[in-house]
Amino acid sequence: MKPIRIADQARLGLRRVCRITADGIRYRLFRASVTVAVIAVAVAFLMNILSESLIKRAVARAARTQLARARLAHEWVFRLSSPGTLETMLRELAGTAPGAPLAAEARRMGALDAREMARLRDAAVSGARYLDFFAGLDHARRRRLVRTAEGTAILDRLAAPGGVDAFTAALRGTRSVRFVDPPERLAAFAAEWPAARALAERVRAGRERAIAAVNAHLEDQTLLQGLADADGRFGDVLRNAGFAFPPPTAAATAERARRLLDVQRTEAALDCRPLRQLIARRYDLLPGDVNAARLWEFLAAAPDAAAFIAAMAAAGGQADGLTPQRLTALAREWQVNLQLERAERLTVQMAAARGLGERMAWLLLVSLLVCGIGISNAMLMTVTERFREIATLKCLGARDGIIMVIFVLESCFLGVVGGLIGAATGALLGTSRMLVAFGALFAEAVPLAQLLTGAALAVVVGIALAAVAAVYPAFRAARLAPMEAMRVE
Amino acid sequence: MRDTVQAEPQDRGTPDSVASSDHRQSTVNPASSDRPVIIRTVSLKKHYVRNGVVTEALRGVDVAVFGGEFISIMGPSGSGKSTFFNMIGALDRPSSGRVFIDEVDVAQLTAEELAYLRCHRIGYIFQTYNLIQYMTALENVTTPMAFGGLMPDQARERGMHLLELVGLKDRWTHRPIEMSGGQQQRVAIARSLSNRPTILLCDEPTANLDLHTGQEILDILQRLNRSERVTVVCATHDHRTMDMCDRLMWIRDGRLERLARREEVRVKVGSIE
Repeated sequence: MKPIRIADQARLGLRRVCRITADGIRYRLFRASVTVAVIAVAVAFLMNILSESLIKRAVARAARTQLARARLAHEWVFRLSSPGTLETMLRELAGTAPGAPLAAEARRMGALDAREMARLRDAAVSGARYLDFFAGLDHARRRRLVRTAEGTAILDRLAAPGGVDAFTAALRGTRSVRFVDPPERLAAFAAEWPAARALAERVRAGRERAIAAVNAHLEDQTLLQGLADADGRFGDVLRNAGFAFPPPTAAATAERARRLLDVQRTEAALDCRPLRQLIARRYDLLPGDVNAARLWEFLAAAPDAAAFIAAMAAAGGQADGLTPQRLTALAREWQVNLQLERAERLTVQMAAARGLGERMAWLLLVSLLVCGIGISNAMLMTVTERFREIATLKCLGARDGIIMVIFVLESCFLGVVGGLIGAATGALLGTSRMLVAFGALFAEAVPLAQLLTGAALAVVVGIALAAVAAVYPAFRAARLAPMEAMRVE
Repeated sequence: MRDTVQAEPQDRGTPDSVASSDHRQSTVNPASSDRPVIIRTVSLKKHYVRNGVVTEALRGVDVAVFGGEFISIMGPSGSGKSTFFNMIGALDRPSSGRVFIDEVDVAQLTAEELAYLRCHRIGYIFQTYNLIQYMTALENVTTPMAFGGLMPDQARERGMHLLELVGLKDRWTHRPIEMSGGQQQRVAIARSLSNRPTILLCDEPTANLDLHTGQEILDILQRLNRSERVTVVCATHDHRTMDMCDRLMWIRDGRLERLARREEVRVKVGSIE
């Protein structure tokens, strides 16, 4: 009989522990795969939301720049028809850097000196922020704070005698509304506003004069027709009138304007009966049902476009200068614009929001929560149903630490596998959905690096959640006396 | 704590005082008193609380088990037999009272030292075998050796030797699910012996087995007790155990009802007097 001597238990090498863990997983492959599936679904959900929002954001950015280019001619037609309201002018000034061409243009038109310009710009920045604040209020609160005033009239109200006091009093009585600036700043702005407003009016009057000067040069042409010559004489007219219209912009604008004129000419053919009939025959429609979409669909093929031009000439339309190549190119562009506009509609929230956007951030948070609860539940189940095994291992002399390591290792392993599967599935689902929604536009805008980062993040989240979720029950199980653990069923 | 451990070999020289104090409670052990006491309990109590209901499982048990003896714990189910077994095996915490294993108070040990005690000094055999399902017979036997710090190849060699001892050498690759109850219990015995324990604790080792297989298991236990001088404590319903044990202990309603040497108990067919 040997004496009993008690010492500290030996420590097990990591390789042995890994083997025990791997054996355990292999034996309970079905159970493990269910856990992996739960983790995968949770991570896929997370990744899907993430990839969709990333792609949407990239597409929104791409669509916005492309559309801005496509709308260049429209924009200039607009700018050359009206000086705009004071409010749009304020926002425009607030959004441009002090030295930008647009700021210089404003300064030129209002004949402002540097000090006046700086003054106007400061007022514009504050004013635009205040207007944003009022635009964000609901009807009742807005009515209470500023009555029925709209746009810069709100600022006028504030600047009127007693306006700020009345406003702060009303603000105090309105629950859950915080003004964007402290009262002193608002008071300072209100004092400044009448002068700034006068400056803005000067700029506006200057702009009005410039517009009149440009329009005097047009004679009987439309603005669009004039802009078609923007890279030539008409561009000089604009620059002489004081507009910031550098030659590159002029060239692009002229090109867009010419296209638009061709589009208008082509679409005007829809008023011509023989041409309508030509298209209606092709699509087996009544002539009255032919619309612009059909027209451009018809013009997508060069032979059809040639036939169209011939028919147009025969019907006495203005077909001069139109070639089949030109028409098919326009038809292609028509389709692209359709897609761009669709993308713009779909991503309207993304474009407005900074960062990921409120909705996406909320969705991400919820999906993270779902992910966390799902994984915790799966791990809790796995550990709880193995209490008996834990108790047995403890009877055999396993240290508490080893049991912890076994379970955390196992859950990490499941987390890695589930996370990878989930991230791949989620990214695939998200991308394919976006591919369907945005088509060709998506292909050039896909943010691959961001997607990979997102996937890595999702995998890490999966592993971390799995490990954390396993630690608590494993810790509890390891700490229990063996028989107490066996009693827990 | 460390002091107690180191002082402990000297303490082993005075088991007589312990045995004599024990003598008052257990009336029948004059023949055994020259042997060292290996397990001793002092007014051991345990109650369970479940849903606010307190169940008294042990109401104060004082017993001494001597080194190298084979002792049977008898008693009807619900008598506290298994609870007592768990207490002396350091598998559960007493509500009050003390358990000394070779004069070391189990309650004083840290988690690490408890793990060492369970690994090296005590072998457990359960009614439900409690083999690790995903390990082969050999892996089940060698796992405690791994915990005990034995090198894998040595562990393998010793594991095969132990499986041979219980007659399962050719089935070392089988998993528990591929073996019969008797075979599983034999693997469990081999496992319990893996780190050469001083004490073998058996909780109804034959309850789930048929008569013949149960006899085989008991034979193995008896052989171990006789040849290796392993102390065997066996909680059982099986009357055959009485035939081979040195002492018998009856527990009823959480109290020690009777403690007797085998010679003093007359065994009749089907009943005991």
